Amino acid sequence: MTAAPQPLLSTDGLSVGYANNPRVLEDVTFTADAGERIAILGPNGGGKTTLFRALLGELRATEGTLTTTSRCASVPQTERSRLDFPVSALDVALMGTIPGRAWWRRPSRTDRAAARTALTRVGLADRAQSTYGELSGGQRQRVLIARALVQQAQILLLDEPFSGLDTTSAQRLEELLRELAEEGRGVLIATHDLEQARRWDRVLCVNGRQIAFGIPAQTLTHDVLAQTYGGAIVTLPGEDPAAPHHAILPPHHHHHDAPH
Amino acid sequence: MFEPFQLPFVQRALVELLLLAVLAGTLGCWIVLRGLAFPAHGAAAAAFPGLVLADGLGFAGALGGFGAALLFALVVGRLGTRRNRSHPPHDTLTALVLVAALATGIVLASDVFHSAASVESLLFGSLLAIGPPDVRLAAATALIALAATWLLGTRWLTTGFDPASAPALGIRSKLPDTLLLVLVALGAVATLSAVGALLATALLVVPAATTRLTMNRIATWQLTTVALAAAEGTIGIWLAVQLNAPPGATIAVVAGATFAATATGTALAPRLGRAT
Repeated sequence: MTAAPQPLLSTDGLSVGYANNPRVLEDVTFTADAGERIAILGPNGGGKTTLFRALLGELRATEGTLTTTSRCASVPQTERSRLDFPVSALDVALMGTIPGRAWWRRPSRTDRAAARTALTRVGLADRAQSTYGELSGGQRQRVLIARALVQQAQILLLDEPFSGLDTTSAQRLEELLRELAEEGRGVLIATHDLEQARRWDRVLCVNGRQIAFGIPAQTLTHDVLAQTYGGAIVTLPGEDPAAPHHAILPPHHHHHDAPH
Repeated sequence: MFEPFQLPFVQRALVELLLLAVLAGTLGCWIVLRGLAFPAHGAAAAAFPGLVLADGLGFAGALGGFGAALLFALVVGRLGTRRNRSHPPHDTLTALVLVAALATGIVLASDVFHSAASVESLLFGSLLAIGPPDVRLAAATALIALAATWLLGTRWLTTGFDPASAPALGIRSKLPDTLLLVLVALGAVATLSAVGALLATALLVVPAATTRLTMNRIATWQLTTVALAAAEGTIGIWLAVQLNAPPGATIAVVAGATFAATATGTALAPRLGRAT
């Protein structure tokens, strides 16, 4: 009998917070295996970003443990980056080489080759010299994924990557994330989209603490969603509330940022 | 037509301006990109009381100016990173300190050291009266700006592009941004002899803001800004000699007019393109 492969990431009773609020997120216990896509569900302020910051090493655990076997790389929302900056898609992907370089070193040919390879991997080889701010929302999101791939991270942390994308762009991005997971990466996606979360491998629900973790079909129950979103759950009229796939979130939990 | 450039003091002024053009092209672009135009103006104004103090107490003016500008840049930069309701907004703080610096300088010059005669040259520069120390300061500052751009440019670009992700990309130290503020203070002091405390932004901000309207890559933007600042300085000093006008103010007018023309041209270009 062979031992189960070590997960890429595991937490056990993890609690994290800030100096002025040391317990933003408490008692989180979950694992992420290679090839897994995990949705992180929770309300705004529920601790999703805090969890990501802890996984990135920006915040220390106040309690519990966090174990990773690989580097984590962050893929933020494109709205958080400056679209007016004079940078190309290649420039942005090259930013992913900073962690591997001494501060006085400029990007080498190897770094540039890695950035081009990553852009090719996300399907943007022909847009390497395009100005970042002139790309579509979906293309910008893929550039930021390329920046994460350049960091040679096996764990990708995506913060609401589908926010503001049209259906076609969202489908392409979802397909890309599936491929990246199949290549052996762990992909964690903070989202408010329940329907999408049902398609991932596992789901972690948080609201100041861990509410539930498991496969979507068993985890996304009405009770779990009510606890996760503080009872702010709307069920479709005439449907059985016990049927988990009929629970939907109120509009204020969705982000409707217009694409730039 | 080129007779003014045969005069030794004009030649020295031209050398100073060409060196400052390198500063305008390197540091100036970072100032515009990182939203530091107002703090840069404030740092130059803050240098004014330092210069008056140095003049009155008899130590190097550049030292006094740099000390005051550095203090201003670091305090405003530090407070600018704090975002809560107990602190006034960043630009309000900059304006408050800027006014305080100018008022302090005027009071020191008129009532403490009785050096009011030199106030005009401190505020608006005396380009045609600069000496070798001013040229050496401009050369050293331009070199430092070039080296800093080479070494820290990627980090300044990354931090400005996506501040929230900078720590995740390995930029956790505040040192690169602090060094940028130090460089802003140094750059402001280096321009004082040419254009004075009130017109420093004519060199440090306006050329870079002008070229930003048409450039969308950092390297070409910086190179174009060096060329534009050199051209504006050369035209400005030639006009100043021909018209017997103050050179610092003339350069500022040339730079401002170029910006206005470029902004108008870039705004009208799409409409003209549609019309044809």
